[in-house]
Parts: sequence; C-alpha cells; structure tokens
Amino acid sequence: MKIVNLILRLIIGGVFIVSAIVKIGNVQVSHAHGIQFSRVPDLTQFAQDVANYHVPPRALNNLVAITLPWIELLAGGLLVLGIWKRASAVVIAALMVVFLAAIGSALVHGYDIRCGCFGTVDARKVGVTALAEDFVLLAMAAWLAWRLEDSRERTTEANE
Amino acid sequence: MAGTLRRALVIVMAGAALGLAANAISPRRIPLLTPPKAPPQASDTVALEEAKAMWGSGTAFFLDARATADYQAGHIAGALSLPIEEFDAHYPPIQPMLTPDLRIVVYCDGQECDLSHRLMDRLRELGYHNVRVLTNGWTSWHTAGLLTHAGGQP
Repeated sequence: MKIVNLILRLIIGGVFIVSAIVKIGNVQVSHAHGIQFSRVPDLTQFAQDVANYHVPPRALNNLVAITLPWIELLAGGLLVLGIWKRASAVVIAALMVVFLAAIGSALVHGYDIRCGCFGTVDARKVGVTALAEDFVLLAMAAWLAWRLEDSRERTTEANE
Repeated sequence: MAGTLRRALVIVMAGAALGLAANAISPRRIPLLTPPKAPPQASDTVALEEAKAMWGSGTAFFLDARATADYQAGHIAGALSLPIEEFDAHYPPIQPMLTPDLRIVVYCDGQECDLSHRLMDRLRELGYHNVRVLTNGWTSWHTAGLLTHAGGQP
C-alpha cells in the first residue's frame, strides 16, 4: 500500500504543482514559439477564466485568481514532499469538489467557456473530459485523505 | 482528524497569503476585488439592423473577437480576426488598416460573451473611439441569414 500511496502522492501533487505554475507564470504555449513563460506574470487572463464560470460572486473573482494557484502550489508541494501529507490531500480533495461543482455548473448552464484548469496553457473548453479527469483526481485525493496519516498526528492522538 | 482539518486550514490560509503577497509585489498586480462592471451604455452597442446597414454600405470595419478556430469555422463576411486573447500577436498586421475615427464593430458569440467588450475596451485604450459591440454577433448575424464566410484571414 505504501508504494501505491507514494505513486498517488506524486501524481496528484505533480498535477497540482504544474497547474499552479502555469497559472502563476502565465505560461503560454504556441506552435510557433513553443512553451513560453511570460516575463511578467499576469493574472488577468486567469481571473477572466474564473469569472466565466459565474460561480463566485463577481467581486471575488480576482481574489480567487490571486489565491487559488498558490494554495494549489502549496498543497501539491507538501503532498509531494510528504509534509503534512494528509492535510494536503484533504485540501486537494476539497478543491477537486469545488472544481467539479464549477465545471458541472458550467455544463448545466451550457457555458461555452475555457476550462482554465491549466491556466492559459490548455485552451480546452469545459466539457465531460475535464469532468472525468477531475473525478479521477478527486477519487485519488480522497483515497489519500483517508489512508494517509500525518506522523505527528498519530503520536499526539495516541497520547491523548 | 481535528488536527488534519486544522492543518488543512493552515495550508489554505498560507497559500492565500502567498498569493496576496505575490500579487502585491507583481508589477502587473490585479485589484483584490473585481471592479464592478460599468453599466452597458447605448453607445457601446450597435443593433443588428444598424450593423447590417453599415456592413452593406461598407462604412464600418468588422472585427471578430473570438478565437482563431471559431473565426475559421465561420464569421461575418469581410470581418477580420482579432482574437482578444491573443491580441498582441494579431494586432500588428491589422493596425495599418485602422484609423482613430474609423467606425469599428466588434463581435463574439452569445449574450454572455465578454470577448467583444474586452476587445472594445482594448481598442478604445489604443485611441479608436468609434468602436461598438454587436451583441451576440455571430449567432444573430447568421441566424438572420446574412452573408458569412468560413476560412482563415483574407
């Protein structure tokens, strides 16, 4: 089981780290120029992607765009490093629930919008593929949140 | 479990704090709260009938704010592609055709579509003051049976 958990941690953590970095760095991919980090990160685009979902109250879209990638980066990073891994898995599972709800809402409303899942790198529209991916990630994160134990937690709870 | 939830909360708060700090020092920081949308003004939009008249008389320049693929799949005949999301790449070849007083109609697709408004704002920033949005442009144009084309930039 240990090896399974390790693999899952690396996969989910990796996905979250990558998705965070492309948002923070405003990474652009074009056929002509390949992968490009913009010199000055610009969240305008991602804030627009968030706004397109019409899920957060309009005023809060920027706040979501500012904070979300860094929460993803921190949770993904800790999960890979194995620090507070259970808590990180809980955060990631909770985020996946939020993402699923947002994508589901966009599909129900029939919004033809960009997913924004990996920032501007993937121009994919919201759709069942994104929904399916997120379900798989949620299942993996939920498994970890259930199976993992944070070492200090175990000792403190044993002492209690 | 309580410990786990507390730590999860710490991760969320720390991540949010990092994000706020990064945004605060970013030269292109965005406002913490999204500024309220300015109420749409009559002068910002153009009705289909009027757009049709301008199109027919050739007195307006039509720009398609949607992604290139959408443009290629079908666009208002004579419109040029200027996807707002890749504005910097697509603007230079179009710039020589524009003058500050030129009447410009921008459009995207769907009532909720924001691309044309963003393109209008961007063009106005560049000094083109005679820009208006044809709301739900693509759908209303082709459902009205008006002339359309498919394919790349002429």
